Amino acid sequence: MGNKQTIFTDEQLDAYQDCTFFTRKEILRLHGRYHELAPHLVPMDYTNEPDVTIPLALIVSMPELNENPFRNRIVESFSEDGAGNLSFNDFVDMFSVLSETAPRELKAIYAFKIYDFNVDNFLCKEDLEKTLNKLTREELSPEEVTLVCEKAIEEADLDGDSKLSFADFENMITRAPDFLSTFHIRI
Amino acid sequence: MNCFSDCSTTVSLVTRQTLELWRGTMKEVGGKFGTGVLSYFKFLKWLLMFNIFSFLVNFGFITIPQLIYHPTPDIPTGVSFKGLEILTGAGYFSHTVMYYGGYSNKTQGTGGWPEYNMQLAYFFTITAYMVLCGAALIYSMASSFRKKYVLADSGLGGAWQLLCSWDFSVTNERAVRQRKNNLRIQLKESLSEKVQVALLPLTERLKHYGVFLGTWLLSTGMALGCGASVYFLQSADKASGSLLEEAATLLLPFVVSLINLVVPLFYSLFKKIEHYSNPRMQVYAIIVRNVILKMSILGILCYYWMKDVANTFSCWESIVGQALYRLVIVDFLFIMLGSFFGEFLSNVIGTKCIQSLGVPEFDVARNVLDLIYAQTLAWIGIYFSPLLPVIQIIKFFILFYLKKVSLTQNCQPPRRAGRAAQMQTIFIAILFFPSFVGALSMVAYTMWTLPPSDNCGPFRGLNTTFSAIQIWMDDLNGVDGFQWIVWIYQHVIRSEIFYFLVSLIILVFIYIFRQITQGRKLLIILLRQQIVNVSSSELSGPKCLVHQCCCV
Repeated sequence: MGNKQTIFTDEQLDAYQDCTFFTRKEILRLHGRYHELAPHLVPMDYTNEPDVTIPLALIVSMPELNENPFRNRIVESFSEDGAGNLSFNDFVDMFSVLSETAPRELKAIYAFKIYDFNVDNFLCKEDLEKTLNKLTREELSPEEVTLVCEKAIEEADLDGDSKLSFADFENMITRAPDFLSTFHIRI
Repeated sequence: MNCFSDCSTTVSLVTRQTLELWRGTMKEVGGKFGTGVLSYFKFLKWLLMFNIFSFLVNFGFITIPQLIYHPTPDIPTGVSFKGLEILTGAGYFSHTVMYYGGYSNKTQGTGGWPEYNMQLAYFFTITAYMVLCGAALIYSMASSFRKKYVLADSGLGGAWQLLCSWDFSVTNERAVRQRKNNLRIQLKESLSEKVQVALLPLTERLKHYGVFLGTWLLSTGMALGCGASVYFLQSADKASGSLLEEAATLLLPFVVSLINLVVPLFYSLFKKIEHYSNPRMQVYAIIVRNVILKMSILGILCYYWMKDVANTFSCWESIVGQALYRLVIVDFLFIMLGSFFGEFLSNVIGTKCIQSLGVPEFDVARNVLDLIYAQTLAWIGIYFSPLLPVIQIIKFFILFYLKKVSLTQNCQPPRRAGRAAQMQTIFIAILFFPSFVGALSMVAYTMWTLPPSDNCGPFRGLNTTFSAIQIWMDDLNGVDGFQWIVWIYQHVIRSEIFYFLVSLIILVFIYIFRQITQGRKLLIILLRQQIVNVSSSELSGPKCLVHQCCCV
């Protein structure tokens, strides 16, 4: 175990270890992956906390995200400016929430953000239609898309406002035990 | 409370830092085949950890002291190493530290080394390992149940398929495309499904129940029949000196593994005539039948070893250890053969000969049950053959790579998004209940009641294995300062009242927790009703105060 690394100070590594679900070795490995996405932008020395962000297009080129239908929404939900530019903190947060040890409540919050395309804190019919199109490569006819989304809202909507609030979504998640293992990206 | 959570976080950090084994391979498998198939490999890795721990404990506390005091085993003249021992475990091996018979019963103390009581070491090592295993299994079963098992079945409805079923860990392009196709097909199917008639006419239902009864009777009968035939085959099996007769001892494990391979295929034929309302019930039925078959064969074998072998042979623990060794080795060979036929040949037949069958899917349930069976053999064998975990470690290591290669070459990703998390809980429960508890009760029965053999092993000359503890307690009685240990032994461990009280307290706690759970279920129903009422009352009309007041 290196005390020889000069990328972070020990306090920074401890802070990362406390705030995320990663160990020191994993955080250093993550920094390596972050650096190799944009070697000219990302400094190797993070001890003075540089203010560097990597644009969306580079992040979604990672092999772990490359084929994911929701890659753009995932990166946008974790970026501070909402446009998908991730600083290293955002990058680590993203993979921490998507790791195996993150608790169900945290994953539910971010899954809701990912599916909420128009960012209005509700999953309305348009959001569900966009989700469905991303999942089926737009090969269902428009009537079928409408039918599936209506059925989904009917099943999950508890308070009857024909859109899914976070409480409805979380209630559905508690009845889906596989969610913890499917909402998971290994890095 | 805080300190406990800090401790557990530190422990989990340390375990994750050290258990980086196979991380890259598992990421690759998960990326192409999804979390359902990955759960098999995670289970395999978990079982490997049990065996590594067992090996370290046994080797460190039992074998190393034996090797220090008796570096060369006493092999009688005329017995030399022929190659057959690797398969049969008998012959040259039966006099080494591989089996119970190779350990001495003296309290060692020669040549400047400190005194080491071999009897107590053997007893306490095995007991401590079993207790720790049991605790680890109960803990993971409880946490898995709490996190992943949902009692109210919400069904695989549209909302679930849309929002919860996408597997984010799949990263391979072809696999992603295939999953999107599968999801589209499933959605189209569920849209076009006609509403099923809820109640079939009475004659149809009676016919279904009749078919169920018939198939269950047939499968249980077959399991018992196989058990009986194994028993009669075993009684006719005697091992002795010549090479041919030693090779003939392999016949029994061969028959057992053949039954374990062929009969489940026969059970899967029942799928054609049975009609379950729920496809999940079908998977459960297959699992239960397989477990009954494997456990009844193992049960018959254990019964034979306890009753007949223990009374007939002179160094019977080593004989049982050798039988278990042979079972483990032949089981490994059959798993390799099963992989060859089940996956490679199915792939060839599915792609070249009968195109309609297609590329096979990886059958997670059958493979996990094979793993559970293999681990049961290892747990039974710990007492009779302390170094059996070594064979198990090698077996699991090779099996990991074998299955991975077979998977990537021959199988396709699963078509239906299944209930992987609930299956995981059930597999851990099966690992605990018939498998570990059965092995533990057999070892406990051996230690408690069966007389050890007279001329070999660490417990020779005693009435039962447990008498070693009794003797130690008598010795401690004479030593000042250790009276409290003797008191605990006599009034707590050996008294029946203690166990009776503990069982009573546990039953009371179970009752209390069950009542709390029932109360909470009722509260959930009332709260759900309240949500609907509050929101519908906001949209229209006067507030329905009655419903709001009664749920606080």
